[in-house]
Amino acid sequence: MSFAVRVTATGLCRPVALRPQVGLGAFRNFHSSKYNLLAEPQTGALSSTSTAEPITSLAQRGSNQFGLEQPQNKAEYVLSTLDKITNWARQGSMWPMTFGLACCAVEMMHMAAARYDQDRLGVVFRASPRQSDIMIVAGTLTNKMAPALRKVYDQMPEPRWVISMGSCANGGGYYHYSYSVVRGCDRIVPVDIYVPGCPPTAEALLYGMLQLQRKMRRSRKGVLWYRK
Amino acid sequence: MPSLIRTLRSVRRVGLREWWRQMQYIGDAKSGTFVGKDQFGNRYFENVNQYEEVPGRHRWVDYAQHNYNATQVPAEWHSWIQHIRKEPPTEDAIMKSSSPPWQAPWVENLTGTRGAYKPYNTVAPKINAWEPKITPRS
Repeated sequence: MSFAVRVTATGLCRPVALRPQVGLGAFRNFHSSKYNLLAEPQTGALSSTSTAEPITSLAQRGSNQFGLEQPQNKAEYVLSTLDKITNWARQGSMWPMTFGLACCAVEMMHMAAARYDQDRLGVVFRASPRQSDIMIVAGTLTNKMAPALRKVYDQMPEPRWVISMGSCANGGGYYHYSYSVVRGCDRIVPVDIYVPGCPPTAEALLYGMLQLQRKMRRSRKGVLWYRK
Repeated sequence: MPSLIRTLRSVRRVGLREWWRQMQYIGDAKSGTFVGKDQFGNRYFENVNQYEEVPGRHRWVDYAQHNYNATQVPAEWHSWIQHIRKEPPTEDAIMKSSSPPWQAPWVENLTGTRGAYKPYNTVAPKINAWEPKITPRS
């Protein structure tokens, strides 16, 4: 089953969402993509064991990102190579601005310590927002802290990324119904990576950093500029 | 630990080509016994000689894909490489005898692709487009 088919199928079944349904179709609107995958006829691959066509490239087929990654002429070839060099340089020295607000900050420190050793990835905590390119929002963001968070974010130079760490920063978490807590730091700053957990382990945060590296690797700013 | 003697020994064992691949992907010259290969083509190795590999680095994986990440290791091999099980799934008696029919094929993390997990949302959208209402002038 191809992913395009799935997208249209979910789009079609949305209007009938309120109608009572029975069987497998009843789950379809409710939950994750898993039931969608099960409910659809198997016309394509759900998983792939091939190295040349891994499942990630199957899922990307026909997308804008896939189009961006295919250079169409020599200028685009040069620009996409330059983009790759830029991405390599960026992902090799991610300097996070530490915004430790609560207990998540302790796990963030564990990531810096010997066992998980963020330094091997070139991740070095930087206390100044003007010299950092990632902000790790670790902990409960209160209403009182929110303007400070935004100010620090505005002081960071472009390009900048934000990792929201822990349930409290993701969506308020335990303090969601508190009168003094921002229900998710994505109401204040744009977030790239959400790390779930309460608090997430240092391993989970490090995995989040690796996912951010993946995101950086997808960047094709030069090709985008050229195509415009 | 990386040392000149260890590097030379590993290069002699695995060959120049494999050493080059290791330096590109693992970043270290390692040599050990080949334990197995999973359905994705990732190869798993082990070297329990503590004078050749630091304990803790004695099991490793050579990923098949160029864009590798840790979720490409399927669950069976994950339990071996993280020392949850002693034997690899090719030799482990329990893993060989049981293959539950409900087990889904292993899929790596699809974050950032079209196959990414999207949870169902019941909350009203946080961002609404502004629809200006123009009062007619009399």
